[in-house]
Amino acid sequence: MSFEAKRCGVQFSPPAIVLIYEHKETKHVRKRIIPVRNFSKYSDYSMAAERLKNHTRHRDYLEGVSQSQLEKLHIILRDHMQGLSLEHSLASFRLDPDEDLNKLDDKELARKKGQMDELFEKNRRQKDDPDFVYDLEKDFTKPTQEKCSWDDVSDDGF
Amino acid sequence: MAGDVGSIPELDQKKYDSDEQVKIICLGDSAVGKSKLMERFLMDEYRPQQLSTYALTLYKHTATVGNKTVAIDFWDTAGQERFQSMHPSYYHKAHACIMVFDVQRKVTYKNLASWYKELREYRPEIPCCVVANKIDADLKVTQRSFNFGKKQGLPFYFVSAADGTNVVKMFREMIKRAVDYKQNPSDFMDEVLQELENFDLEKKEDNSEADEVGLKAESPESV
Repeated sequence: MSFEAKRCGVQFSPPAIVLIYEHKETKHVRKRIIPVRNFSKYSDYSMAAERLKNHTRHRDYLEGVSQSQLEKLHIILRDHMQGLSLEHSLASFRLDPDEDLNKLDDKELARKKGQMDELFEKNRRQKDDPDFVYDLEKDFTKPTQEKCSWDDVSDDGF
Repeated sequence: MAGDVGSIPELDQKKYDSDEQVKIICLGDSAVGKSKLMERFLMDEYRPQQLSTYALTLYKHTATVGNKTVAIDFWDTAGQERFQSMHPSYYHKAHACIMVFDVQRKVTYKNLASWYKELREYRPEIPCCVVANKIDADLKVTQRSFNFGKKQGLPFYFVSAADGTNVVKMFREMIKRAVDYKQNPSDFMDEVLQELENFDLEKKEDNSEADEVGLKAESPESV
């Protein structure tokens, strides 16, 4: 039996993870509501997400949903329990390329890192991959390189 | 005195004076991928020691350079501003520096200037390089030239901690340069400090002498 996750979201009341998936053989699209139990505004979202991902009754359905997305949904849920708005939660994930992340505290920074990790995991080559090369080298030196717009003439030290 | 610079009780930084102990620091803004680069380079060898009070992660590595075996401590530091007061201990006795920015975030490139300025205040001569990380996000960036490193005469690397591009090459070259520097230090302050330490041993009892030496250490130009 295999399922293809289409969309995954969160429901506030009662707290649940909502999954839209397709049954690969029958091509039927269904909705599965997975209640989030024993989760409070003080709970560890990453542990809760891991627990859910490995849950015997749900793991087959959640195979196509990344750990980081489940973490994010739990963060939204917890933010809601703490009385924070959905807008606030979503903004905390948003990556603004001009934002100076050195000014954030650990929790805020973890959210941004979680966001970046999605791309990292997508592009990651691991030791067990057949095309893995430990000492991978690529030469990028080209005779004519575009000038980088990040270098302004006015900048001292640049 | 000099010995108190950035003292971390849990860590004995004196060991970095010995020939086979090398210290390489990793600098750059928060979330540019410093830890991920370390992990990619060390792979199975990866067993960090976390000192969260100092916002510091230490990675130990053993390498053979020429016919010599050296023990390298990589200091992976935090970019967050509230740890600024820890910076002197990061720089203390470092033999090389890897400066990292994120090609997707201009601000991390712009901040290299202040990281570099601070580094040079503490370590005017140690080998340093500029690393452009996360090129896997958009390979087009590798067609651009980032002039900050060039202007400072620093080697530049396009790397990706995710797919591994040039990570090992960069670390190996920096280890080599750290060891070379160690064998032939050109930092004036290194020599001054070494002399002061010898001096200290000889004149430990004499407090007035030690004070005078302390003043000299603060303004090396006048020596």
